[in-house]
Amino acid sequence: MVTQTEKLNSLITDYFEKEQKLGAQLPEWMKELRQQGLSRFNELGIPTIKNEEWKYTNLSSLAERKFYIPEPQPFKELGELHEYLDPAEINVVFVNGDFHPKLSNLTDLPKGVSIVNLTTASAPGIQPFETHIREYQQKFSDPFAALNDAITHGGVLVKIDEKTVLKRLIHIVHVTCVPKENAILSPRTLIVLGKSAQAEVLETYMSCTPVGYFTNALTDIFLEENSVLRYTKAQNEGRQAYHIGTTRIFQKRDSLSENFSMTTGGMLTRNNLMIILENSGANTFLNGLYAVQGEQHVDNHTCVDHQAPNATSNQYYKGILNGNSHAVFNGKIFVKRIAQQTNSYQLNKNLLLGKGARVDTKPQLEIFADDVKCTHGATIGQLNEDELFYLETRGIHRELAVRMLCRGFVDDILNRISNPSVVAKLNKMLAPSFETFK
Amino acid sequence: MTKTPQQEELASREYKYGFVTDIETEAFPRGLSEAIVALISERKQEPAWMRDWRLKAYRHWTTMTEPHWPNFHYGPIDYQALAYYSAPKKKTDGPKNLDEVDKELLETFERLGIPLTEQKRLTGVAVDAVFDSVSVATTHQSELAKQGIIFCSMTEAISHHPELVKKYLGSVVPSTDNFFAALNSAVFSDGSFCYIPKGVRCPLELSTYFRINSADSGQFERTLIVAEDDSYVSYLEGCTAPSRDKNQLHAAVVELIALNNAEIKYSTVQNWYPGDKEGKGGIYNFVTKRGKCIGVNSKISWTQVEAGAAITWKYPSVILQGDNSIGKFYSVALTNNRMQADTGTKMIHIGKNTKSTIISKGISTDHSNNNYRGLVKILPSADGARNFSQCDSMLVGNNCSANTFPYIEVKNPTAVMEHEASTSKISAEQVFYLKSRGLDMEESVSLIINGFCKEVFKELPLEFSVEAVKLLEMKLEGSVG
Repeated sequence: MVTQTEKLNSLITDYFEKEQKLGAQLPEWMKELRQQGLSRFNELGIPTIKNEEWKYTNLSSLAERKFYIPEPQPFKELGELHEYLDPAEINVVFVNGDFHPKLSNLTDLPKGVSIVNLTTASAPGIQPFETHIREYQQKFSDPFAALNDAITHGGVLVKIDEKTVLKRLIHIVHVTCVPKENAILSPRTLIVLGKSAQAEVLETYMSCTPVGYFTNALTDIFLEENSVLRYTKAQNEGRQAYHIGTTRIFQKRDSLSENFSMTTGGMLTRNNLMIILENSGANTFLNGLYAVQGEQHVDNHTCVDHQAPNATSNQYYKGILNGNSHAVFNGKIFVKRIAQQTNSYQLNKNLLLGKGARVDTKPQLEIFADDVKCTHGATIGQLNEDELFYLETRGIHRELAVRMLCRGFVDDILNRISNPSVVAKLNKMLAPSFETFK
Repeated sequence: MTKTPQQEELASREYKYGFVTDIETEAFPRGLSEAIVALISERKQEPAWMRDWRLKAYRHWTTMTEPHWPNFHYGPIDYQALAYYSAPKKKTDGPKNLDEVDKELLETFERLGIPLTEQKRLTGVAVDAVFDSVSVATTHQSELAKQGIIFCSMTEAISHHPELVKKYLGSVVPSTDNFFAALNSAVFSDGSFCYIPKGVRCPLELSTYFRINSADSGQFERTLIVAEDDSYVSYLEGCTAPSRDKNQLHAAVVELIALNNAEIKYSTVQNWYPGDKEGKGGIYNFVTKRGKCIGVNSKISWTQVEAGAAITWKYPSVILQGDNSIGKFYSVALTNNRMQADTGTKMIHIGKNTKSTIISKGISTDHSNNNYRGLVKILPSADGARNFSQCDSMLVGNNCSANTFPYIEVKNPTAVMEHEASTSKISAEQVFYLKSRGLDMEESVSLIINGFCKEVFKELPLEFSVEAVKLLEMKLEGSVG
């Protein structure tokens, strides 16, 4: 046992101590999950740049750190939260990686919607999904999903029953306010939409502390037949934070997912978005925006796995890079042999503003079926001098002209989100970045 | 997919160049060791510096492990079971002119359609023919010499122009570069050497024709082309091998050097034996090709038609070091039966205002596996660098696969780069249209595929372009429909 946990022990110093304290009261299925995650992580360890999946994102500074698991936060009003939360929406609040029902407004949930702590959710209700995920875990050697499993002691289950159409936005907020540096947080979210259900979810990550910490988030989403989910993830953590987030979406027949991922914060961000189109007729949109500056590093890895015929996927990621920031994009499209009549598109556009900015992009296609239409593209460039000149001739100051053109670049992608409340929230997070554009 | 009897017949048409020439070859012990490397050097009567260079490469090779990262599979290669040198036996000290060349050998090249006799100068191509590991004949040498152009076998170059070989050999692909380049550096037996002096525009297309004949021997040739300031050369390369049940290794190295304002155009039509329908036998084509645009305004373009070999694994690359230099890569890779290809290019931008273009077309049929893997790297010094890449794949039949792995690394914010790729099948509408015009299925598909590859074919020299179209048609016969 001791030798087996070496890798985790060297990363998280107080793992064993916390393990005993937290592990005792957890439900059986979660204990099992933790055990599996532990052995899986010890098998895989923190990847190095020799690993093809991590070629452009160097985690050596993370691997050198010694993390601790923060104590569960007692109930405390967080003033900072109010400006982010709209009482008309369903707010689900996580503090330091733990779900806080008291800070959330879950009292008058519409019929067919349940939002509960994963530990209190009934085992038969969760197990089928968990088993499904386990099978996938074995296929993709993702050490960070395993790490989340190993540490998890809760999280939230959002369940939308069959034929329920939820109009209100579910806003899941992850706030970090740890007093001392090197905390590791493992928020976990499970979203399940029943047949023909519809919902919109926004997950935001923010911090009210300037210290460095590590968020290792995991979100699993199951879309049953004919369901529709609009899912947005916004990461606006502190500039000292590591953020590694894994989102896995399993889609059944004729389901639709519209995903948006925005990154503005964090020192080192890695978003893993995996979409598994299990049955025919499943459609997905993956849109993303990153606006980074200074020494920020953002890495978006997407993977669309076409396992069945007649499914479509559409990917569009845009990024603005200022200062010495570094962006990585790796989009993978797999088309299985039986997945005929697949349509799959992928585009990544990068705007370089900063002198030291760097982009590594790798759009990748792996296709085993012949009756398909798959395209991918990537561009890297600067603002058009002619366009800037035109604006300047109209009496617009250069700085403003740059911002106007950047606005246009960003709006092109932001306007793909239909919910105005989500767009407003994202724009608010983008505002500080815009001030640095010149 | 059901095939008509006619298609069946076409599909089983044999590899046209699969014959074996019964020619006496010099025996050479199998296996690889320092003694063998030294023996190769000795047989070739090489100077000491060359032998030491080989031995250094060999010693480095022994410290390396065979890479296994590409997206294909092959059984283990037993490097000790191969013979590293195979040369047609010479009657005397070597042929002084074509009359002395083994008649059977000449006939072989005749059968391959390679004119070695100088009477056929109408073709306007100077040929260096490499049979197994040794260059057997080089045509038009005297005519080229008038302009100061050196076009000869590597062995000749080592003895006649050691200063040039010393200066440039290994300057683009160092002997320590990779596993197969190190192996080649240790054991290469011959190849072509080409030197274009300052201000000369080479009047002929230079061409090397490679043929593997012996069984159980690997072919390791080395090509070095140096274009001095303001010069131009167009170089063609063709390859075939007999049909054999065993896999044979071909690990070549090609180095191109372009100085100020020089231009090198390198075209390949590769048609090594691809193995039979079940994937038995065939050549492993593991080649390192790299060009270096050292001078300002220099230009290197690679054009390749990859239609043979059981496995093709190569990435003709350009290092764009001189300011305003240009690198181009045009490729058609066709795989059928059980062939596997992992090919593409690397464009390394170092100089200011460097430009590169990549056009890659992959066609995958039957049970084959076709991969494009490319790297575009723009270093911080490459202000104003520009790249355009396009890689399209076409899938014919539902048992094949096509994959694209483009790596794009930009470290300079003034760079502009675009990359686009697509994968699709032959559109039913297009086929229907052509059939309604009276073309049969095969003709329609051939026409569509020719259109698909046109951008690359038009970059080939005329004779090669015709050959490439024919080659593609021949390969596709029976595999579509």
